Amino acid sequence: MAFLELKNISKSFAHAKGMLQVLNDINFNVEEGEFVAIVGPSGCGKSTLLRIINGIVPMTSGQVLYRGRQVDGINLECALVFQSFALLPWLSVKANVELGLEAQGLPPAEREKRAGIYIDKVGLDGFEEAYPRELSGGMKQRVGFARALAVEPKVLMLDEPFSALDALPAITLREELLDMWQSPDMPVKNILHVTHIIEEAIELADRIIVMAAGPGRIVKDLKVELPRPRDRRTDAFNALTDKVFSLIEERG
Amino acid sequence: MLEVSGLRKMFGTKIDPRRLINGTLSFLALAAIIALFFAYRSAPHLVPRKIPVSIRHLPYYAFCSFYRMLAAYIIALVFSIVYGMAAARGGLYERILIPAIDIAQSVPVVGFFPAAVYFFVALAHGSRLGVEMAAVFLIFTSQAWNMALGVYEAVKTIPDDSREAIETFGGRGWLKFRRLLLPASIPKLVYNSILSWVAGWYFLIACEIITAGPATYRLPGLGSFLWQASEKGRNFDLAAGLLTLLAIIVLMDMIVWQPLSTWAEKFKYEFAASSGAVQSLGMFDALSGVGPAVTRTLRSILLPPMRLIATSLNALPRGPELSPEQSKRLGAIVRNLIIVTILIFTTWALARGLVALIKTLAQPWPSDAKQIPEAIVLSTIRMTIAYAISLAWTVPCALAASENPRFNRILSPIAEIVGSMPATALFPIIVAAFIEFTGGMNVASIVLILTGMQWYLLFNLLAGINQVPEDLKEAARAFGLSRVARWRKLILPAVTPSLITGSITAWGGGWNALILSEYFVYNDQTHQVLGIGALLDAATYSKSGNGVMILLSLLSMIAVVLLLNRLMWRPLYNLATERYRLDY
Repeated sequence: MAFLELKNISKSFAHAKGMLQVLNDINFNVEEGEFVAIVGPSGCGKSTLLRIINGIVPMTSGQVLYRGRQVDGINLECALVFQSFALLPWLSVKANVELGLEAQGLPPAEREKRAGIYIDKVGLDGFEEAYPRELSGGMKQRVGFARALAVEPKVLMLDEPFSALDALPAITLREELLDMWQSPDMPVKNILHVTHIIEEAIELADRIIVMAAGPGRIVKDLKVELPRPRDRRTDAFNALTDKVFSLIEERG
Repeated sequence: MLEVSGLRKMFGTKIDPRRLINGTLSFLALAAIIALFFAYRSAPHLVPRKIPVSIRHLPYYAFCSFYRMLAAYIIALVFSIVYGMAAARGGLYERILIPAIDIAQSVPVVGFFPAAVYFFVALAHGSRLGVEMAAVFLIFTSQAWNMALGVYEAVKTIPDDSREAIETFGGRGWLKFRRLLLPASIPKLVYNSILSWVAGWYFLIACEIITAGPATYRLPGLGSFLWQASEKGRNFDLAAGLLTLLAIIVLMDMIVWQPLSTWAEKFKYEFAASSGAVQSLGMFDALSGVGPAVTRTLRSILLPPMRLIATSLNALPRGPELSPEQSKRLGAIVRNLIIVTILIFTTWALARGLVALIKTLAQPWPSDAKQIPEAIVLSTIRMTIAYAISLAWTVPCALAASENPRFNRILSPIAEIVGSMPATALFPIIVAAFIEFTGGMNVASIVLILTGMQWYLLFNLLAGINQVPEDLKEAARAFGLSRVARWRKLILPAVTPSLITGSITAWGGGWNALILSEYFVYNDQTHQVLGIGALLDAATYSKSGNGVMILLSLLSMIAVVLLLNRLMWRPLYNLATERYRLDY
């Protein structure tokens, strides 16, 4: 029994001129312990797919099985990190990180302790009382990560987490993500990472699912077997990049 | 500014039969509800009294008026949060609640007189309490609608990401309200609260002197004081009353609104936050610390008992645990019960109102009714002239403010304060002046309408000017655009949506002012012009109190307002936001 199973997922949106199909018959399984990247051009529905798995967007047809069972509503063992950071501007860093814990009914003292731990883990110790407008993009995304990690999810879902950052902070955060993933005391068992940056997917993931648009469908499911840490300047890396690129190009 | 193709698009569209039916039905419903209160006409036994006009009583009167405004405001606040958030849920809620409020906005405050009197006064059997409730209700109607719409707008424009961020962690219900919906509404709520108080002060006079047929109720308060002072020509008292009002408004601005506006900045998304520091009147900063100090003291007083209540509630033995499915079903049952109750009540009210409407209109129509069409035309002409004059000075003012930041900073608080002053209290002086010089109430009436129109226009224009992005202005300068070219190509198009919104609000305020401006008694002399406001007033305030005439003039006025809104302002607004919205 796979950790996460997606069976025949399709999604259509009502549109002014009729129905627009964003996802068509998506099927794949994810085993425990996998870092899966979902790569594709814009409009291929990859962000929507993530939200369907999480449960905040309902699918039109199909089934999502989490640990063998269908989850009704929101899957609280998945936590989402947003491309636009999605921090509430009127809450401090601490309050933003505690948001998920508050939703899950943890008492205040517990919340504060947990939040403190994860704010520390993402390197924002000392910024607990700062407000989002006082932070840089990289720092805001760290808060986003802290908020997601604080609920100690089994599946971490990343929706283009570094696409809105400058190149330098993005590089730093990628490395830190990898460090976190490879450290032994992580409750996170799986990462689903949606991105349109091919190199990012190859650098981080064990497995790449390549999608195409119009309507969104899976083109190829590749394994990445390069040893970590992966160097972008090696031939193997570049070959893989070219391969994924051509897959997207010819079907996209 | 508007291209010919835009105009053609606006007038060339065929009238959709469904919208026509919807419009007629909603108008009928509104007429029924207004007529409903006529069904309860009785002569409540209350001796109309005059309140003593003397300066000694001013502080007491000021306090009375203030607490009435405050009570109405608190009710309006709660109402707008509940109503706005319900409407923002979308679907059927939205389709019913928003048009309902649209219609309510078109009804002039005088239109609610019958409701206020026949309901509250009769309910309390003619006691003073009933009259107080009626006054608070009237003030509420001048405050609530724009606040509710503000909440609705704010909740609807919450970015999807923020919603998803809360939903993905399983947050809903109370948590979602407390952490997302309410904070997101705060900037609009604060801004609209300021506007609501402005409207409330303006109509204070109308709300504290309530007339129904032969009986007039005057409540002790600033409004009735001002009116009586001016009626009797006691100018010194009038001036004293106005100064008191001015003092209250300025104090409120410094102690409440300025700090609140600054606090509300915290709740704005970055793309909406104002680029400059919020204007403050410099030397009065010290006083503005009073507001936060008051809230802190309040909080320290209220928190211990609330915590006590919370812990004792938690200590109670818990009832049977409901499964999520059961609690969802329970919630649905409760919600459906409330909806059914509201539906039953509304249907009963509509039916009763329709009956009353037919009965009242079946009575012989008074001969005055023949004048209604002509009166409407004349009133509309007066409105248009006042509007043109308003535009003529507010647009240049706004353009000047866009050029000169210091002028901008000074203009806003001044406009706010002057705009809050109820010009209604100065009406008699204005009328007297113009009658001397130009020998016609017409000019005086136009001037009075102006006072109810121009400030809304100015406020909205200023808001629009402040929202023009800096980088567009820099680009204009970098490409060497002359000042006139900059105005034509950038500033004026960019403020067009605000101009239209301001115009819609201005006309709304103008209609209300019209009613007060076309007819009144000063020094025991009646001054009036032929207009729909005059007809309405004459019918309302005359000794005979002709119900049919009141209803007829009221309904025809509302019909005109609604038609103008639907056929002119709405399409203009859609056009403006389509072409001139700053979205890139």
